[in-house]
Parts: sequence; C-alpha cells; structure tokens
Amino acid sequence: MTTARQAARDAARLFRLSMVNGLPDVGRVRSIVSDLLTSGRRGRLAVAAAFVRLLKRDFAGRMAEVDSAAPLDAETRADIEAGLAHRYKRAIATTFVVDPSLIGGIRIAAGSDVYDDSIKARLFALETAA
Amino acid sequence: MTTLVQEIEERLAGAKVDSVWQSVGVVREIGDGVARVEGLREVMLNEMLDLGHGVTGIALSLEESEVGVIILGDHTAVEEGGEVRGTGRLLQVPVGKGLLGRVVNTLGQPLDGKGPIASDTSYPVEKIAPGIMRRKPISQPVQTGIMAIDAMIPIGRGQRELIIGDRSTGKTTICVDAIISQARLNSAAEAAGDTNYRPLYCIYVAVGQKQSTIAQIISVLEEAGAMPYTIVLAAPAADSATSQYLAPFSGAAMGEWFMDHGMDALIVYDDLSKHAVAYRQVSLVLKRPSGREAYPGDVFYLHSRLLERAARVGEKCGNGSLTALPIIETQGGDVSAYIPTNVISITDGQIYLETDLFYQGTRPAISVGLSVSRVGSAAQSKAMKQVAGQLKGELAQFRELAAFAQFGSELDAATQGKIDRGKRIVELFNQPQHRPMRVELQVALLWAVQNGYLDKVPVERIKEFQARFTEYVTASRADLLANIGAQATLNDPIVAELKAALDQFLTMWA
Repeated sequence: MTTARQAARDAARLFRLSMVNGLPDVGRVRSIVSDLLTSGRRGRLAVAAAFVRLLKRDFAGRMAEVDSAAPLDAETRADIEAGLAHRYKRAIATTFVVDPSLIGGIRIAAGSDVYDDSIKARLFALETAA
Repeated sequence: MTTLVQEIEERLAGAKVDSVWQSVGVVREIGDGVARVEGLREVMLNEMLDLGHGVTGIALSLEESEVGVIILGDHTAVEEGGEVRGTGRLLQVPVGKGLLGRVVNTLGQPLDGKGPIASDTSYPVEKIAPGIMRRKPISQPVQTGIMAIDAMIPIGRGQRELIIGDRSTGKTTICVDAIISQARLNSAAEAAGDTNYRPLYCIYVAVGQKQSTIAQIISVLEEAGAMPYTIVLAAPAADSATSQYLAPFSGAAMGEWFMDHGMDALIVYDDLSKHAVAYRQVSLVLKRPSGREAYPGDVFYLHSRLLERAARVGEKCGNGSLTALPIIETQGGDVSAYIPTNVISITDGQIYLETDLFYQGTRPAISVGLSVSRVGSAAQSKAMKQVAGQLKGELAQFRELAAFAQFGSELDAATQGKIDRGKRIVELFNQPQHRPMRVELQVALLWAVQNGYLDKVPVERIKEFQARFTEYVTASRADLLANIGAQATLNDPIVAELKAALDQFLTMWA
C-alpha cells in the first residue's frame, strides 16, 4: 500500500523532473500527469494530488496579489513589481485588485508573506489590542 | 473635534504593528486538536499562532512544506482553508504572587471565578533549565510533616523526588500533606514574625486527573488553609491532550518566577504517566515515528527538560529554589516499564509506595527498602540525623527478622528485642492523612523510641501514647520543642530535658 509519505516522496521526485531552468515546464508537467494517471500503479491519485499541491505551491511563490483601496497608477505598479522581483530574486507575476474594503493603503500577498499596510488591518490591530 | 481626530491618529500609530510583514499560512488538515498548515515561512518552533476566531495554536513541528500546529482551546471553530498568522511570540503564561490562592488552566487563565489574575509579568512556558554555574548544592530541608519521609527519605529544597506506586496507594495524599505542612509552617512563621524563615510556596499541577478529584483536593487545601500559599494548575482529563501536555511546563514557569526572585517553591506534577500519554497522543496525531510502547523517541527529553528546571540556585542568582515532586503511577507494581524507569533515572531519588503495605494498614505505604533520597540527607537537621541515622538499617533488619520469625522458631532475646523495636517504629510511622507533624515533635518521638522509652508500651497502644505525648509536650513543654527547633541539634541539656519530660509523662500516663 502506498503511504501518504511515500506518495509525497514520489511526487517531489516527479516535480523535480518537471523543472527546466528552475521553472516547471508545461509540456513535461502534462506528460507526467497523463503518464501517471494511465500507469495503473496503486496510489497514483495520491501521488498526483501531492504533485498538484507542489505545483500550486511553486506557482504561489511566483505570484503576488496587490490589493488597494483605489486603483494604482502605472508608475506605482511598476515600482511594486520591481520591488517584489528584487526582494524574491525572481520574476513575480503580479495581479492588481481594487478592494474598497481596505479603506486606504495597500496589501501585498506573495506566497506565505503578507505585507498589510491597509487602514483595515490597522483598525483590526487596534480592535484586537483593545 | 480636532483633538479627537488627533487622539485617534495617535492611537492608530500606536496600534501599528512593528512590521507590516506577516507570515500567513493556510490550514490544510485539521483534526484531534492538531492542524497541518501550509505556508507560514519563517515561523519559529513553539511560536504562538493565531488561527482566527480567537483560537491560539503552537507550531510544534516544522517540516519542509508544512507546519504541525497543536491547538489550545476549542478547535471546532477552525476550518480547512482558514488563514493562520504567526505572532512572533513564544507561548507565555502569567507568573507572580498574584496567582497564589488561584485555580488556573494551562494558559494561566482563571478557572475559579474569582476574577482576572493580578499579574503584569509573563514567563515563557518552555525555558532552558539553570546551568551548572548558577546552581548550588542542596542545603535546606523541605519539611513534609510526614515522619517516615522526614526521618528516612529527607527531601531538600531544589531536589526532584519521585513519588511512585500503583493506583490508590496514597501518592497524591503525600503531596497534598506536604503542601499543607508548608502552609502551616509559612503561616506560623508569619504569625511569629520570623523573618529568617523562607516560606515555601506550592504549585499543584493536575494532569489528566478527574475533575472530581481536583475539586476534592482544592477543598482539602481550602479546609487546611493552604490555598493562600498554593497555585492549582488544572488540566483535567476533559481538557485536550495538547493542554495536558503543556500543563507541567506552565507550572514550571510559574515556579521559576519564585526561584528567580530569591524565593522557594515546591511543584507537584500529578501525574507524569498521564502527561506522557497525552504527549504520545499529540505525537501520534502529528505522525511522528513511535518507539517503545508507542511513545515517541523524545519522551525521555520531555521529562528530563521538565525536571531539570527544578534547581537550587546560588546567592548571585537570587538564592531561590524550585523543588519538584513528580508522581508516576505504575501498573501492577512494575517499575521497569518505560516511563517509570525514565523518570527514576532523572530524579534524585524516589518514594516507592506498595499496595501490599497499604492494605496491611501501613499508611503512608512507603517501602523503606526501595525508597531513597540521593541528596536530601545533606539538608536534614542535625537533631533529625542523630535520631534517624540508624532507622533505615534497623527497619530493614526488622523486615528480614520478622519474615524469619513467622516460622515460629525460638528466638534469642536480642533478636526478639529487634523485632519488638521494629514493630514500634512501624507503628509510630503510621500517620493519618492531612495531619502533618512538626519536625521537633518527630525528633522527640524518635528519640523516645530509640532510647527504649516505648519498649514497655504495648504495640496496640503506641498510637495512644503518641497522641497523649503530643498533647502533653505541646501543652506543657512547648519550650522543649522550641529549643529543639532553635538548636537543631540534640545537645546534653536538651537530652536531659527530653528525659525528664518522658519520665514525667510516663508516670502520669501509665
């Protein structure tokens, strides 16, 4: 029986094989998944699920979401993108979202790092501190 | 209006977190009080985590892509996909004198309905034990008020003395008696204005105990007036395994505050077998590899790092102490099981309680042969050493001879004398629960039995003799007891006074 740990190990190996120049290659990923699903080995679904999780984590590390209360001008956007690329030493796909509930300020979420300098977060900190 | 705006602005600036950066993770799996969280980059081991809905967790295992989090409190509100934030703080509990007289849970929150805890200081729950340079040898006694212990297995301040035995052999009772004895000594010293006496504060940590048992212990302590000097930390059987696992460490943190501030404290861990079981449960749910009896590999370190925190520190570091009385429950008297052998090897001796002795009527049911105190004799008063020096040997000889005499063979006078003396000592050591005895009185009684004053008293009347003599000596010879206490040694004038008192008492009593 394939244990969860073994599945995670196999998925990590497949994930390494799917990388080209430090980035997951779309063609390799597709062929790995189709080969895996048609392989007939036991526990292939668990391995595939773990593989997808690794992919998601990798994508999440290369993506950032910038929320702001008001739309940002092109210059600020470029500044933020450059700053993120400098900090993480790689290209970060940045999406900009307007979220009026922040009241003011911006919130950047890149992977598990969250830089929250919005009025909403400050009010929340004030509420929890009181 | 402008001032109001200014005020709000100032508060907003004050409430601003030190850094806007936060490490955030996502709950991937949750169950049995343990969550697996993805993300949470740069989280620390034992860091407190905010799982939302006012739920706190602790990062207990850091893996390549996940963090194993144990949840304190109600975990039913936490959902898969929920956000988890690092707080950058290690788990802390309130400490200080404000906790005395209170019943608290693992996080130091009050359970007794007496309002919030008056404390402005917190200590981390996990802390490295005092190092070699900070320590000092044990030199002051913990007077448990139990004659068999104070005479034969003395405990010193800063010692770790294990109390081990089967279920219902009186393990908890010994500890509760020790707490009551400290409370009496503390309040007596307070009443007399004795500034030389160092009060000993007590912490009772209940791990995995029945709520009814804990309630009963609290009521006993209240009745005996011991609560003003005692903190009760309760992690009952109904609490989650995680809070049972953390409870002894929280208690140790509260005790360390007393030690660091030049005071003495006594901590009772009741009991570490259930603590090990709770830790085993947490470890298995976290999918850590299991070893002997399914306990994780670090179960020895779990108890060694806890018990190492009990210490006597030197003058430069405040001259305080933390004495630990861990309890271990054995199954069928088996001390060679995993957890008992671990804790025996960590502690500075053990008090072994036997079921057979308990049902034969010996209370406390201490097995003299198997109980030892490795460092406590250094703290025993000289007077006690003078009367109790030979006791262990004599009792061991008595047990051997008594077994031999069962065959009904004729005995010579010397052997018969030893058996008779042994029977009287055993009878004298029988002590009802929750009635600790002053150490001066113990010395007087042991001196009497060692010098043949009890040889003529029939064994059945030993308890009566003891009760009457106690009444007599406390009522009309209080100066004698005070002298023994003050001199701490049996010099000739005290011995002469003791002789006179015993002679006078025997003529009155017979």
